[in-house]
Amino acid sequence: MSETGIQVFNHSAMATQFQVRIAGEEKTYAAQTAQAAFALVDDLESKLSRFRANSEIAQIAQLAPGEKLRLTRPVYDCLRLAQRMEFATRGAFSVTAAALRHQPTKPLWALVENEFTLRCDSGRLEFDLGAIGKGFALDRMAELLREWSCPAFMLVAGGSSILAGDAPSGTAGWDCGLGENNSSRRHWLANSSLSGSGLAVKGEHIFDPRTGLACSRRHRAWALTTSAAESDALSTACMILDETEIDDVVKRNADWLVFLNEKNEWRHLGQRPVPPLV
Amino acid sequence: MVTPSINRREFIGATAAAGAGLLLSSCSPDSGSKTAVNKASSLNKINMALIGCGAEGQVLLDSLQVIEGIRIAAVCDIWPYNLKSNVRRLKDNGFDVNGYENYEDLLAGEKDLQAVVVAVPDFWHAPITNTCLKAGLHVYCEKMMSNTIEGARSMVQTMRDTGKLLQIGHQRRSNPRYVFALNRLLREAKICGRLTAAQAQWNRAKTDDLGWPKHSDMKPEVLAKYGFKDMHQFRNWRWFKGLGGGPLSDLGAHQIDIFNWWFGQTPRAVLASGGIDYYKNHEWYDNAMVIYEYELPTGVARAFYQVQTTTSAGGGYFEQFMGDEGTIKMSENPSITKLYREDRAQDWDALVAKNYLSASATAAPSDADKVDVRETAPLLQYDIPVTFSKKIHQPHLENFFNAIRDKNVKLNCPADEAFASEYVIHKANDAIAAQKTLAITAEEVKA
Repeated sequence: MSETGIQVFNHSAMATQFQVRIAGEEKTYAAQTAQAAFALVDDLESKLSRFRANSEIAQIAQLAPGEKLRLTRPVYDCLRLAQRMEFATRGAFSVTAAALRHQPTKPLWALVENEFTLRCDSGRLEFDLGAIGKGFALDRMAELLREWSCPAFMLVAGGSSILAGDAPSGTAGWDCGLGENNSSRRHWLANSSLSGSGLAVKGEHIFDPRTGLACSRRHRAWALTTSAAESDALSTACMILDETEIDDVVKRNADWLVFLNEKNEWRHLGQRPVPPLV
Repeated sequence: MVTPSINRREFIGATAAAGAGLLLSSCSPDSGSKTAVNKASSLNKINMALIGCGAEGQVLLDSLQVIEGIRIAAVCDIWPYNLKSNVRRLKDNGFDVNGYENYEDLLAGEKDLQAVVVAVPDFWHAPITNTCLKAGLHVYCEKMMSNTIEGARSMVQTMRDTGKLLQIGHQRRSNPRYVFALNRLLREAKICGRLTAAQAQWNRAKTDDLGWPKHSDMKPEVLAKYGFKDMHQFRNWRWFKGLGGGPLSDLGAHQIDIFNWWFGQTPRAVLASGGIDYYKNHEWYDNAMVIYEYELPTGVARAFYQVQTTTSAGGGYFEQFMGDEGTIKMSENPSITKLYREDRAQDWDALVAKNYLSASATAAPSDADKVDVRETAPLLQYDIPVTFSKKIHQPHLENFFNAIRDKNVKLNCPADEAFASEYVIHKANDAIAAQKTLAITAEEVKA
C-alpha cells in the first residue's frame, strides 16, 4: 500500500500489464476485489483474443460468407460498440483495420440483433480488437469494482488506457499525465477514461482501415471520454484522421475530448470540459 | 471447427476410434463440412437446466449458449448474487430462463426438462445427481464426481438403476486434439516407442482466498441449510474437507484422468507427499506431488503429478507422455503442445506424409557420405495437425447432448469409466495422509 492509502495490484493479460488501484479500502478486501477484476479480464481475453485458438474471435475468422456464429454477450457487446465507433469515426477505427493488407477488399459482417449472432457477409473476418478490447475490459472491470463497493479506483491497461473511478478521498481526482512518465501535462481525472495512441513504443502499427496504408499522424493523440472502450478506439482513430476530421467527429459527441501535441504545443478538440490541470 | 492438415476420412477414423464419431459433426475439418454442423440444428431441441452458476458453471454457460439444439430453461444457485446476475445475463442474451435457489424446486417447477448440467461444490454432486437421475433426467456432472468414493459409487449405481446418461466433466476426453494424439500418434503410430514415464502439472501462483461483494452475504441459516459454516467457507469450499478435495481433485482430477485414459489402465500403486504448509486457514494440502506406478504390457511406467498453489513456475499446465523413442506433451493450450523424437527412433517422414504430424521444416539430409553447407537451418519441430476453435468444454457437452438424441452415440466419459480415475485421485490424498505407498488393485477401482 502506498502512503496515500492506495492499494496497487498488477496482472498480465491481453499481452500487457493491467493494474488495479483502489483507494480507501481495507487491504484484504481490496486484494480480493482486484483478484475478481483480473479473473474477469482473463475471461474476456479468452473470448476476445485472436491469438487464442478457442476464442470467439478465432471462430469468427473461420466463418465463410453466409455463415453465422452465436456469440456470448461480452463479445456481442464489444463488437456492437466497435461497429458504433467505426461509424462515429467515419471508418478511421475498425476491427478489420489490417484486412486490406491481406485481402483485396474489406470484409463485411453484421450483427443479427435478435439472434445475438454475427454473420459473415464477405471476405475473411480477421478481427483485431487491439484498439478497443483493453478499453472494453476496463469498462467491465469498473462495473465490477462498483458492484464490490470500491468506487474510488484507477484502472490501467498497458499504460495506454486508463479508467478513473471516483477521486480518492480528499483529492481532486487521480493525477494523470499525458505522455511519458512524469509528463508535465497533468490533469485531475475522475469517472473518465483517457487513452493515448502513438508510434513511439510499437513503431508503425496503426493502419488506415479505409486504405490499408500506414497512419498519417506522426505525433501522439489522446482521447478523453467516459467509456474506456470509446477512448481506446477514438485515440487510435485520431492517428488516422486529420485535425479537421477529428474536429468534425468529436463535435458530434459532447462526451469526447481529444488532445493533440505537436512541437510541444497542446491543443484540445471537442466540447467536453477540459479536466482541471494538476 | 477443426483446421486440418489431415483429411476428413482420417480425422473420422482417428476420433471414431475413441467413440467420438459424432464429435466430427460438430468439429468439422474444413469450411465445406461446416455446413453439416448447421444442419445439426434441425435436431429436436433439448430442454436443460444448469444447477450451479459459480465460476465453473459460468464457463459451461459460455458453451451452452452457443450449442445449437438446446434450450436453457432454468438456472439454479443458492447465492442470490450469482443467481440474479446469471439470469439477467442470459435474459440479456435472448434466453428465457427461470431462476431457482433450490434444485428440488427447480425439478418441481420445470416439467419439460430432459437434462441438467451440475456444477456445484463437490459434496453436493452425488445428492443432486442422484435426485436428477431418479427424476428421469440425463445428467452432465462436473468432476470430481463426489468428495467421497461412496458418493461417486452411488452415482454410478443410480445411473445403472435408472438407465439415464451420466457424463462426467473430464472435457479433454472429447477434445479432438487429445483424441487424435491418443489414437493416431500414441496407439497406432506408437511414436513414443515403449512408454516409460509420464508427468503432468498445474501450478498456480499464490492468491488470496476468494472474496465476495459487500452486501452480498447469504444469511447464516441459508448457508447452514446448504452445509456451509460461513461465507468464506462457501466461497472457498474447494479447500475444506467434507466439501471438496483440494487442488489434487480440483486440478489434478483432469490430468490424472489423462494418465489412466492414455495408459489404458489404472495404476497398481500410489506414493505422494503434500501438506498444508502455506495456507494455514485451509484444510486441504496446498502443494502436492504424486507418483503412480502403472504396470503396462511393455513394462512399468511411472507417472508424476504435481500441483503447486504457491508458484506458477514450471511452464503452465500439461500432460506429457514419455517413451524411449519420443514424447507427446499435451495441453488444452495448443501453444504448450510439443512432440519430441529421440534420435534413435525411426524418422517421422512417413507420418508427416500421412498427415499424422505436421513438420516445421524438412528433415536434414540423411546421406552419410555427403554434406551441404548453407545458413543455419531452423530446428525441425513437429506438431499435431489438428486444431479446433470451439470453447474447450463445448465438444464434451455436445457429446452429452448428442448421446441423448442418438442411442448409437456413446458418452466419452460415462460415470462408470470416470469412477476409476475418481478412485485413484482419492487414493493420492490418502497416500499423503498415510505417508506411505498405497497399493491399488484392479478390483477396487471398479464401481
